[in-house]
Amino acid sequence: MATGTLIHTKRKLPPCSAACPAHVNVQGYVSLIQRGKFREAVELIRKDMLFPAICGRVCFSPCEDACARVNLDQAVAIRALKRIVADIEREHGQVKPEPIPKTRTEKVAIIGAGPAGLTVAYELAKLGYPVTVFERMPEPGGMARYCIPDFRLEKFVVANEIAYIKDIGVEIKTGIEFGKDITLESLWNKGYKAVFVAIGMQLSRKMNVPGEDLEGVVHVLEFLRAVSLGQHVDVGERVAVIGGGNSAIDAARTAKRLGAREVMILYRRTRNEMPALPHEIEAAEGEEIKFHFLVAPKRIIGENGKVKAIGCIRMRLGEPDASGRRRPMPISFSEHQYEVDSIIPAIGQISERSCIPTELLDEKSRRGLIPVDPITMEARIPGVFAGGDIVTGPASIIQAVGAGKQAAVSIHRYLTGQDLKAGREEVEETTWVKDWESLGKKSRRYEAPIQKPRLSFEEVESFLEETKRKAMFEAFRCLGCGPCSECLAGVDLCEGDKAVVDESRCTGCNTCAIVCPFGAIEKNENEVAQVSEELCKGCGICAAHCPERAITMQRLTDENILSCALTALRRGDLP
Amino acid sequence: MSSGKPRIVCFMCNWVFCNETESAIHQEHQIPFDVNTVRVMCIGRIDPVVVLETFERGADGILLIGCTPPDCHFVEGNLHAEHVVKLLKKLLALTGLEPERLELRWSFPIEEVKFIQILTDFAAQIQKFGVSPLAGERPDEKVLLNVSAAKNATADFRLRVLTGREKELTENMNVYGEKISQEEFNALIDEIVKAEFIRHKIHLLTRQKPLSVKKLAVIIHMKPALVLRHIVDMRRKGMIALDRVEETTPLYRALEVQ
Repeated sequence: MATGTLIHTKRKLPPCSAACPAHVNVQGYVSLIQRGKFREAVELIRKDMLFPAICGRVCFSPCEDACARVNLDQAVAIRALKRIVADIEREHGQVKPEPIPKTRTEKVAIIGAGPAGLTVAYELAKLGYPVTVFERMPEPGGMARYCIPDFRLEKFVVANEIAYIKDIGVEIKTGIEFGKDITLESLWNKGYKAVFVAIGMQLSRKMNVPGEDLEGVVHVLEFLRAVSLGQHVDVGERVAVIGGGNSAIDAARTAKRLGAREVMILYRRTRNEMPALPHEIEAAEGEEIKFHFLVAPKRIIGENGKVKAIGCIRMRLGEPDASGRRRPMPISFSEHQYEVDSIIPAIGQISERSCIPTELLDEKSRRGLIPVDPITMEARIPGVFAGGDIVTGPASIIQAVGAGKQAAVSIHRYLTGQDLKAGREEVEETTWVKDWESLGKKSRRYEAPIQKPRLSFEEVESFLEETKRKAMFEAFRCLGCGPCSECLAGVDLCEGDKAVVDESRCTGCNTCAIVCPFGAIEKNENEVAQVSEELCKGCGICAAHCPERAITMQRLTDENILSCALTALRRGDLP
Repeated sequence: MSSGKPRIVCFMCNWVFCNETESAIHQEHQIPFDVNTVRVMCIGRIDPVVVLETFERGADGILLIGCTPPDCHFVEGNLHAEHVVKLLKKLLALTGLEPERLELRWSFPIEEVKFIQILTDFAAQIQKFGVSPLAGERPDEKVLLNVSAAKNATADFRLRVLTGREKELTENMNVYGEKISQEEFNALIDEIVKAEFIRHKIHLLTRQKPLSVKKLAVIIHMKPALVLRHIVDMRRKGMIALDRVEETTPLYRALEVQ
């Protein structure tokens, strides 16, 4: 494969990549999947984002929400494609990456081995910094490891992704607690030049209702973490989960798997306002989890120190609040009870204030957030950066990755003495498609790959072949609506090929503008065709149609094609 | 085809060419002849001139393989290829080469079995026609002249504009607000293909030596009046000029077009 550098530069991205907080080159890897280059596709994802298998499972996929194919039928199943390529790579035997040599001397400490921390570690390791990640829990992975239940994200998947980052030479020290075993002081003393704080939100928010300290009340993070750690958790027969977020759904589904006969979710607004992902809600419904909407807990009734029932009142929706959702208002004299054995409040998360140095904390923040510069991720102490949930409040893996990438740029600039803010690249969404009506594409919907039956003797290889085929079909649904994706999918051929107009021969007949699928050609003020560097994808259709043959391709010219054809002919002559 | 193998050039879209296709091609026993593949970014990239020149140099058959519509990495490159192939088949019919020596087929990257089927079917089709009259040391001069004329015609403005704009003209309206139906367009292009072919043939003939209308009419089996009409058009376009008048007969000579 040729290694020529691409001729053009690009700041504009297709809608999917622009919507992704980590700006993963979606169009690029989908193109690679079209050509059946699965391994290259995973490598392309890893360039921007370390967790293809994790995000392929649990990402909330803003890329799919932005996908322009919805104008025709349905978004491309980007998340499923990502998962498929990551799984194919693993099943075929992942190649162990080479350690990246440490070319720099400035040590960087990262506190918290969650998605944000690991991303910073990865990005800085790529630049040659010696990076150490400190983690309190016995295993790295953060919320993805401990608070997403196995049925959504299996532990070995997380372990596999983290093995990759260890292999490239990032040191991860587990069992070390920030604020206790290490402090900012001790890190500076040990010679660390920069610190990235990504400790996340590790505590569940309390409901502040009477009876919350009774036996049988387990807060959501503590509950999920205990189950992840394999501890014995007895939830009894009937479980009430309070809240409408993803962790509430996770807790409810986990409780069901622990043997609870009846699991209900109590949420104070309606289904439309639930922050949980729609397909997660549907999955919970499929598992016969009951939803009680417009209900808020008022008190917990105990008997002999154990939970017996939860007393609730009904709510109605009032005016929209600051978050844009309609505020629930209590209805008086509507108190009622649900008999339950345990209660899992899942109404939000807060940080562990005790371990955060007071200078870093936002005093006004009730949740204990660390305020940072929104662009550079710089905290109030020079050399200290923060990102992830501890800055934004509970968010998603991909948002943490996005923050981590920004922070890594800042840390690199800080350590090399550059301006932190100058020339930070803003991405812009762009697509060449102006009129969806005239695109002439037939509607074709997503066909889910065949589910591999668990516990079957079906041959793995043929299953993979079938999945690959489905993935390639699905990838072909991508319209490639952004500019050239730099996927390097055709680079052995195109090398960033571009059309060039011989201005002396162009008569301004406009045929090229008509045939160009991407609207990349327009006549300029001299009535001469002009090719937009940004939009041209190097297909060469204009060159094949130019009536004056004034357009040539930079690399794959007609002469090249002809000489290839003639060489092929001569080869046929040989005995 | 002296060795019994047809000399086939297969132009392929880069996007139907995946690892599976490649290994299928290299497994020789699957394909009864050598596949000489030329990859291009999109099958719509194929310039008609390149196809005709390949025929001119003695190819027995040319196969174009693109992505099955509606999938095309470049939106509708495969439809552009369809227009070009339609034009080329019309021209080939005039040259004396069988139009079936050129085919456009659809494939999909992972369907190697179908891909091999396409190749074997095409090889069988070419085997029926036998070796190209242009192959070997001594090509058939008449056919060669025709193919060269056709090639020059596709290099010229008129046919290229029409194929490029076929979709626009038949689906939308032209600048005068007229809509041309597909049938009208086909009739139009048939007529223009014939005219352009004849003109370029006259151009090639008169390039060798100055010729009179009568002589030309005999060579290309056409009524002298029609030949004269073409000559008038060609003079206007600067393709041909009066060389000299012999007795009362004017002789014409081709001008080099840049």
